[in-house]
Amino acid sequence: MSSPEKLQKAIKVIAQLSIDTASRTFSKLIKSGATIDLERAFMADISEVTRIFSGSEDEVVGAYVDLVGEAPFTFLFFVSAPDSLTLTDLMLRREVGTTREFDLYAKSAVQEIGNVLASAIVNVFSRDFGIAMKPTPPAVTRDYVGTVFEEYIVKSAGELNELFVMESRFCVVQFDIKCHMFIVPLPGSDEILQSVLESPNMKEYY
Amino acid sequence: MGRRIMIVDDAPIVRLMLKDILVYNGYEVVAECSNGAEAVQTYKELKPDLVTLDIIMPEKDGIEALSEILAFDARARVVMVTAVDQREALMKAIRLGATDYIVKPFESERVVSAIANALQ
Amino acid sequence: MRIIAVGIAEIKVVQPPALLRTNLGSCIAVCLYDPATATGGLLHFMMPQAPNASAVCKVAKYGDTGINELVEEVKRVAHVKSCSGFVAKIFGGARVLQNINSEIGSNNEEAARRILKELGIPITTSQTGGDRGYKIEFDVGTGIIRCQRFGEEAKEY
Repeated sequence: MSSPEKLQKAIKVIAQLSIDTASRTFSKLIKSGATIDLERAFMADISEVTRIFSGSEDEVVGAYVDLVGEAPFTFLFFVSAPDSLTLTDLMLRREVGTTREFDLYAKSAVQEIGNVLASAIVNVFSRDFGIAMKPTPPAVTRDYVGTVFEEYIVKSAGELNELFVMESRFCVVQFDIKCHMFIVPLPGSDEILQSVLESPNMKEYY
Repeated sequence: MGRRIMIVDDAPIVRLMLKDILVYNGYEVVAECSNGAEAVQTYKELKPDLVTLDIIMPEKDGIEALSEILAFDARARVVMVTAVDQREALMKAIRLGATDYIVKPFESERVVSAIANALQ
Repeated sequence: MRIIAVGIAEIKVVQPPALLRTNLGSCIAVCLYDPATATGGLLHFMMPQAPNASAVCKVAKYGDTGINELVEEVKRVAHVKSCSGFVAKIFGGARVLQNINSEIGSNNEEAARRILKELGIPITTSQTGGDRGYKIEFDVGTGIIRCQRFGEEAKEY
């Protein structure tokens, strides 16, 4: 049995590949260049990590997806409420500024971005590592960033007090839009990720 | 060549994106459905020339809906639309009788060529 | 004025001047206040009941262990021996994700009410439930909580 550190390294490698794919997919979806602004993986105490956004005034729209299958994960994508309107226009190839209020299409835009990004991650799992996974239809909510993030940690943590969190931030360069994406492996992922450690694909990374 | 299309996807924005592409290219969108159950029912009522069918949807997924549509009409033309590159599900769909598939995020050109080929 | 952020499964007990601040979805915040000593504490818990109360590492995660710990902590900081005179205000317990079938928010609220009643601590305000999140700021000097439900104006309680 490998050490927790080795397992975390395996998860980080998979996550990096997934995030690269996700960022390219995101650019294609909105037909605008998106770069990865931040990428980190860390063990997070659930109290410390939720304190970051606690009490903030910021309003965001978040899409939650469960990645179910051999290696269960949770996924969250969120963007500020005003920027969700810009993303809607980009997806619909409309002039930016056309969507002025958070309507059905703006909500659906975030839902679909969540769906496509989570699917991009699932594709990496299955194509590169042979791990069978499937995303559930996204649940979308618009609320305070602290509330959106809290619900994600509550969903992911269950009985755990610490989570291995992979955070990335995309920047849509032309419009200075920042989007956050998180993935967290759930109990039950360990065994299959363990077997991935031994695969030839993985060995070239460490 | 028929030009009546039914769009099935649980995301309203995807339905609108597809509709914009199809209408711009001279097709008529006769119905939009947001889940597989609605898709099967509406197909039976309207018998469109072609269906674009999302795979992952709540209530009834695209594979199940495809199966029921083809059981009702063996000549139905269905183009699957998926964000997940699920080879197994797509191969199953093709074996069941789907005509083609489009992977999200899709380009207009790809949508148009898949639809045009399917309708020939 | 110190502004102290409180995360999930945390208890913060302080003396004034200070503002305790947190966001809530399905979690419940119990704001406990001792007017006699102007000592206030906030518990932000996420599940109603600890699976095994004696073996819990993070007592603030659960309503039962958390509220008891909150009371003990306020008594400690206030240098009092009993919680008589303490008052509680509760917030949160919403159902923010609509297509996820979960009663966790209302279960948390029910647990908070039950445990505070067992302890004999009155609940003077409750702003709970609904389908939107909450943002609260607890001024431990005055015992007043500024609560804003998403999409609404802030109100003081």
